[in-house]
Amino acid sequence: MSRPLFQWLRHPKGYLSLLGLVALILFPLVVQNPFVLHLLIMILFYAALGGAWNIIGGFAGQLSLGHAAFFGVGAYSCILLNLYTGLNPWVGMVVGMLITSAFAAAISYPCFRLRGPFFTLATIAFAEVLRILVIYFKGFTKGSVGITIPQKMGLANFAFREKAPYLYIVLTFAAGVFLISYFIQKSRFGYDLAALREDEDAAESLGVNTTRSKLKAAVLSAALTSIGGVFYAQYILFIEPYSEFSLDFSIQFALVPMIGGMGTAAGPIIGSFVLTPLQELLRSWLGGSYAGLHLVIYGCILMLVVIFMPQGILGLIKGRFAYGEKRPSSGSIPQEDRAVEG
Amino acid sequence: MLREFTQLTVNGLLQGGIYSLISIGLTLIFGVTRIVNFAHGEFLMLAMYATYFLFHLAGMDPYLSLLIVTPLLFVLGLIAERLVIHPILNAPSFMQIFSTVGLSVALQNAALFFFSADYRSIRTSYSTRTLLASGLLISFPRLVAFIASILISLGLFLLLKKTYIGRAIRAVAQNRTASTLMGIDIRRIYLFTFGLGTALVGMAGGLLMPVYYVFPTVGGLFVLTAFVVVVLGGMGNITGAFIGGLIIGVVESYSGFYLATQLKEAVYFAIFILVLLLKPSGLFGIVGSEEMGEK
Repeated sequence: MSRPLFQWLRHPKGYLSLLGLVALILFPLVVQNPFVLHLLIMILFYAALGGAWNIIGGFAGQLSLGHAAFFGVGAYSCILLNLYTGLNPWVGMVVGMLITSAFAAAISYPCFRLRGPFFTLATIAFAEVLRILVIYFKGFTKGSVGITIPQKMGLANFAFREKAPYLYIVLTFAAGVFLISYFIQKSRFGYDLAALREDEDAAESLGVNTTRSKLKAAVLSAALTSIGGVFYAQYILFIEPYSEFSLDFSIQFALVPMIGGMGTAAGPIIGSFVLTPLQELLRSWLGGSYAGLHLVIYGCILMLVVIFMPQGILGLIKGRFAYGEKRPSSGSIPQEDRAVEG
Repeated sequence: MLREFTQLTVNGLLQGGIYSLISIGLTLIFGVTRIVNFAHGEFLMLAMYATYFLFHLAGMDPYLSLLIVTPLLFVLGLIAERLVIHPILNAPSFMQIFSTVGLSVALQNAALFFFSADYRSIRTSYSTRTLLASGLLISFPRLVAFIASILISLGLFLLLKKTYIGRAIRAVAQNRTASTLMGIDIRRIYLFTFGLGTALVGMAGGLLMPVYYVFPTVGGLFVLTAFVVVVLGGMGNITGAFIGGLIIGVVESYSGFYLATQLKEAVYFAIFILVLLLKPSGLFGIVGSEEMGEK
């Protein structure tokens, strides 16, 4: 295990990533500007959630626009458990993950029969139904008023006054999602997913249990997304159904890997480092004085990306520099590693 | 009891007429271009704003302004097709969804920027007029919208059945390759269909304005309903969309009254999910047509 790691570190991809990680760890010690720290937190947050979406959307090609459902279920499970039973938010997060996983398995199984835009529309509908139900059952969920999380600070309560602890938590989260994606990419499971993404019938006939693989990917993706939901809730210390279950979140989770490069472990990270600062800066420059203008620009970016770089940034780089690459969608695995896997 | 039920049915049918009109444009565009157009609701919003400003600045009656709003939306549809839809015709369906979502976000927020988030409505002499027919209350502007949507659907039906361009549109919807071989310029058909679908939602906007508010996100409210209707009726099926619209209108009216107003959306989304899972080709679609959108 140590030799491949050593080899990996000699590769520019390896030492540059390590360098980046060290820089991120040291960053809050040097910079104390809250806006910059907030920006970095949001970048890592969307990198992690884009990565979570990427497992089912990118690797398995099941293009969901309903991931806000998992995000919201995770957050609401944790916060409501805390509210009614006083359960610690960290434990609540794990329980939330389990609830979300069960929920994801239950709704994914029937949805997987649908293809193309029909699958996407069904996922949107599920998130909408959940939002409506959370608003309706206001006796239990507090409805559209939302829940303010009691500000008991400290690590045990998952609430902090400063930004730095949040940064370290979200950094761990993003790194974890990246590692999971990286191992999926290299594993047999990853190949199964790639096979069913390219041609489901062919994969099935070659002995890939496509339903089980998709289900596994969906549950993993949903569980990671629910962690993001809890993190976001604990970060802003407030939840309400309109934003938790919003289509905007679902779009954002899918857009980040799309910009970076779908179906690659590094894609969501690159995508978030490009997209999130752009959005946050546009919002802070234009959001106050010209309502809506930053979202007009955002919408235009969306259209331009789809029209001019449908393969994402990684695809663009690969297409430009790497000649003779056989599978441009297979991401950042060095060719040798793949041979070993076989 | 019975009168209550009849009244609810009438209300639902009248509301459903508007849903039908919006959905027919959406299903037409999907049937021909195979693109799920998320910006459809924003064209509705633009049509409503156009009607609003024609009323307030020029004092024009909303029904009269249909003569201006409909061609205007047709042209807007042509422009949108050229700029946004045309470059992505052969992209995977998910990319297409993103592109139209981008258009939707841009238009919605452009409206927010130019017209602010205020709710605006117009007050005509007949906005609140109701007719009393054998004990049933019928809102006059809603009845007009309902009758208009029947007439427009009939007109569209005749256009598709009887004219050359209509036959060409149906041919392209059935088989792109074969229609190219038959000498149909499919790019022009896409362009025309998109304009036509947008013009239809434009008419819906004009007819809706006397009874509804306009605000930048009003389209989002209707577009999800329109998707439910389109799936219910079978994607690309115009008769299906018309009947689907009426069904959803009635379902909404019943569930709003017998369950709870806040739950009516949940009910039709539940229907949507059930239809997708049990009969994805829709109530009136041909089995297997749900995979049309697949690339």
